[in-house]
Amino acid sequence: MRTPLLIGVAALLGVVVLRQTGLWDPFEQPADPFGDSASVIAVAETPEPAGQKIVAQTETPAAQDEDKAAPVSPTAPEAGRFGNRADQPAVVPMATKAPEAAADAPVVDESALRYFASRGDSRRLEAEIARLRALYPEWTPPEDPLAAPPQGDAVLDRMWSLYSEGKIAEVRKAIADRETREPAWEAPQDLLIRLALAEARETLVNASEIEQNDTVIRVAAANPAMLTCGDVDVLWRVAEAFARTDRQRRAIDAYLYILRNCTQPEERIATVQKAMSLLPRDALSELLATEQTVDGKGEFETIRSEVARQGLINAATDTTIVASPADVALVEKLAADDGLVSDYLLLGWHYLHADQPKVAEEWFAKARAKENSADASQGLGLSLIAQDRPVEAEAVLYEWRETDDKARDAYLAAVANMFAMQPPPVVSADVLNRAVAVVAAAKDAASAQQLGWYADGFNQFKTAERWFQTALSWQPDNEPSAYGLALMRWKLGNSAGVREVQSAWVGRSERIPTVGQPSEETASVGSNAPTLAAAPGIAQTPPEGQSKISASAAPRGERRQPQRSAGGEAKGKRVGAVGCTTTMDPERLSPDTALRRGWCLMDRNRPIEAAKAFEVALKGETQTRSDAAYGQSLAYLRVGMNDMAAVSASKARLNPARSVEIETALLSAQATNAYGKGRYVETLIALDARARIAPERNDLLVLRGYSYLNLARYGDAERVFRAAAATGNRDALRGLNDLWAARNPGSNPY
Amino acid sequence: MRRVRSLSVALGLTCSALLAGSTGDARAATVSEQEWTSYRDKFLEPSGRIVDNANNNISHSEGQGYGLLLAYLADNRGDFDKIWAFTRTEILLRDDGLAVWKWDPSASPHVSDANNATDGDLLIAYAAALAGKDWRRADLTAAAVTMARSLADESITRTGGLVLLKPGNDGFGAADRDDGPVVNPSYWVFEALPTMASLAPEGAWGELAEGGNRLLAMARQMGPSKLPPDWVSLKAKPVPAEGFPQEFGYNAVRIPLYLMRAGTMDRATLQPFLENMTDEQGRVLIVDIASGSTKQALDDAGYRIIPALIRCVLDGQSLPEDLRDFSPTDYYPSTLHLLGLSFARARHPECL
Repeated sequence: MRTPLLIGVAALLGVVVLRQTGLWDPFEQPADPFGDSASVIAVAETPEPAGQKIVAQTETPAAQDEDKAAPVSPTAPEAGRFGNRADQPAVVPMATKAPEAAADAPVVDESALRYFASRGDSRRLEAEIARLRALYPEWTPPEDPLAAPPQGDAVLDRMWSLYSEGKIAEVRKAIADRETREPAWEAPQDLLIRLALAEARETLVNASEIEQNDTVIRVAAANPAMLTCGDVDVLWRVAEAFARTDRQRRAIDAYLYILRNCTQPEERIATVQKAMSLLPRDALSELLATEQTVDGKGEFETIRSEVARQGLINAATDTTIVASPADVALVEKLAADDGLVSDYLLLGWHYLHADQPKVAEEWFAKARAKENSADASQGLGLSLIAQDRPVEAEAVLYEWRETDDKARDAYLAAVANMFAMQPPPVVSADVLNRAVAVVAAAKDAASAQQLGWYADGFNQFKTAERWFQTALSWQPDNEPSAYGLALMRWKLGNSAGVREVQSAWVGRSERIPTVGQPSEETASVGSNAPTLAAAPGIAQTPPEGQSKISASAAPRGERRQPQRSAGGEAKGKRVGAVGCTTTMDPERLSPDTALRRGWCLMDRNRPIEAAKAFEVALKGETQTRSDAAYGQSLAYLRVGMNDMAAVSASKARLNPARSVEIETALLSAQATNAYGKGRYVETLIALDARARIAPERNDLLVLRGYSYLNLARYGDAERVFRAAAATGNRDALRGLNDLWAARNPGSNPY
Repeated sequence: MRRVRSLSVALGLTCSALLAGSTGDARAATVSEQEWTSYRDKFLEPSGRIVDNANNNISHSEGQGYGLLLAYLADNRGDFDKIWAFTRTEILLRDDGLAVWKWDPSASPHVSDANNATDGDLLIAYAAALAGKDWRRADLTAAAVTMARSLADESITRTGGLVLLKPGNDGFGAADRDDGPVVNPSYWVFEALPTMASLAPEGAWGELAEGGNRLLAMARQMGPSKLPPDWVSLKAKPVPAEGFPQEFGYNAVRIPLYLMRAGTMDRATLQPFLENMTDEQGRVLIVDIASGSTKQALDDAGYRIIPALIRCVLDGQSLPEDLRDFSPTDYYPSTLHLLGLSFARARHPECL
């Protein structure tokens, strides 16, 4: 008797797709380790149903043989290929029996049918009739299935009952017990196939939950009958497994398979939604192209907007992605038609990240005019900061400064940038006072430190010294402030004061002990000092003091750009964590677990996923939050998403060493970036800021030299190149040659 | 070396045939129906899950492996298939074909750590291979082959001349831990290794058995008690691994049982265990490695049967009466108890 082998059309998803990738494992007889092939042969040769166990529990031979699986049912010539007509039944079961066998009257296993009938389970009964009909076209169901006679086999009845309750393990036990008790008894093939499918589904779902993607694909391939429109969830999981194992084309094909064959409207939309988070924007267009018209409307109309919005979100959070003009245009149209503030904001963030702060400013302003919110104000503030308009940013952000940490950080960033402007802006005493008040109220050591450098820029060393002291009083382990304090005291000639700081920081700072020794930083003091003599005092004193400022001088100011920087030299360094080989949604994790996972992913060089894990960890308590912010900035730095890194670093208070590490990396990148764009003054500003917190590396010293050279500050360039060349740096030697060439146009040094 | 050699010879004989019998239906159960029923009623859930009742009711690959092995030894195919159904659908999920080690009923998803534990993998593959052969179940044999191949490929590692078993595929290597590589001598289920070799002949199973014996010899030189610690760091000179109790503990107590089940009868190997792991009342001692002092004395029959079996093997001493009756207590000692009784029935009926 033939073995009815149920092959869904969907089987080809597994078979065809896997064959393309070469992943498909051709049917392989189980090895017989005991050199006793009797068991395998006995089972294989015994006519059905003794062979059912093999069929059901391990592999379905025909399903593995693509030559057998590929032929299609004569009634559905196109079935089994991707690109079926959408009205094709999703599942076309077929028997792979020899034509001559069709003449025999089939012995149809009606046990399931009878069981469901006796239970009055009409839904399952109908499904079973449909299944048997597809399997045996010549079979006719009992006239009145509900009146089908009872089976008279209470034990088998009990098995079906357990099966319908989902108690698979208990069915397995019942079968094995009975086989032991009654050696002649054989379990119905129908039951065995159903059990195998139920187990395969269970395994696939469990493997999918812990992202064992190869297992998902392996199980799906071995059980193609479960890949049907009747169980779209399984198809989604298979598609996801392909997407997560860099088999994007297969993932697209799987989603397309659903869209071309399955008809449930909500499942079709959900399919596109699932794909949105896993596939790049281009692939989504391919899926959207399968859109069907329902009541004169495209079924994906709503989701098209979502896709476009998601396209903008993706581009805003990942600098390697550029939002397509079509998506931008669609969201702009939505914004115009519907006037949703959320769309204004989306466009604002898009343009801000696309380096078009002017356009971003317009969208944020529009959003803010319609509905003033922390988000809109923050976006507007950052757009203004990006256009070197921190004074306006301060005004926008002031009222939101207490909304949450992010808003306060944005305000402090505006303030910091305001103090760092070149030349210092004219701001009213009121604004200055309120800014200083926020800094004081926030006891924000970082801003206080910035005010210190600001005062230093005006040669107000005494004021600067007090700001650094204030910063230290708020955060005693703030090393940059201690460094500033030592530097100011050195500039003030207070060597006893310098030694006091130095002895307090023995072993805790590499650079504080170097204050007073010749270096790039200290060497430049004298040369710049004269230009500052004319600067009237800024009497900003911390924190209660009156703040006055004069804009007449152009001091050597330090520009701190907490929100916008570039670069990446930081390295992840953490203890290894076990157990992040799989991918998973970190949303489910506790903050601490997410944190460990983040570091583990960093160790495995999967920074994008790590950043997501750290995002979850940011919900944790103080220390976890701080670690997470640090980790996330490192993660973004590693992939060159420097804006994001800067934002991350501002999400929680970092300890001094980490803060220095991140800021150093950001400033290095900023310097390199600015140089690449020919902005030599900005390069020097970034390098100066960096030199305040970390020793200058030779490569950056060379960058500094070339910046001087490009600004025709030949004396400075020569001094820097000579210093670096003294260490044998070849780039510096080349710099000296270039310098010579610049000074002697038309001559060749060689 | 003599000790190592004699053990290798014993391994070559393989006890699986002796313990389990070599032909299907003629094989007599070495775990009685009553014993298995009481074990099952306490530790086996209807879903096919073996519950570690002393450990927050979690399950693990080791428990599923023990459950399968005991169901096989009790010749209970129904319960074997029940445990196997759960094992296949809930535990054997890893991409590499091995088992996830931990299944937690209170976690979502239930698999809270997808790493594997090689002792669990060995036990599952071993039980599946034995049942596959005796009950002529090609599906079980095929599953055992898959696992044996994966273990051979992914879990056997070579460290400084020794062939060793990683405790799990992730997290124990030199790159993963400051004191890595770290191994667990009690993960060597010696009796399973010849079976693994027949399933996956390309694997270095013989060398792995030898490596396990050499590891054990070294691990017994770490403290005055001459007992091995649960976890060993092999970064330099072998020492107890960081981050684990530095003791002859719950892991290591089963080592002599594994050795005897694998056929070891060698006095030089077994006598030091007998002298140091038990007190006058026959309790099993948890011993601090550095000091040799006793940290705890375990009174459960499932632990006490281990030194009693050594006395049986070495000196022909009968098992005390109270150890011959099985009544389930906690999952782990109860499992050891049945493995011990099964061994005595198969190999040393004179002690009963």
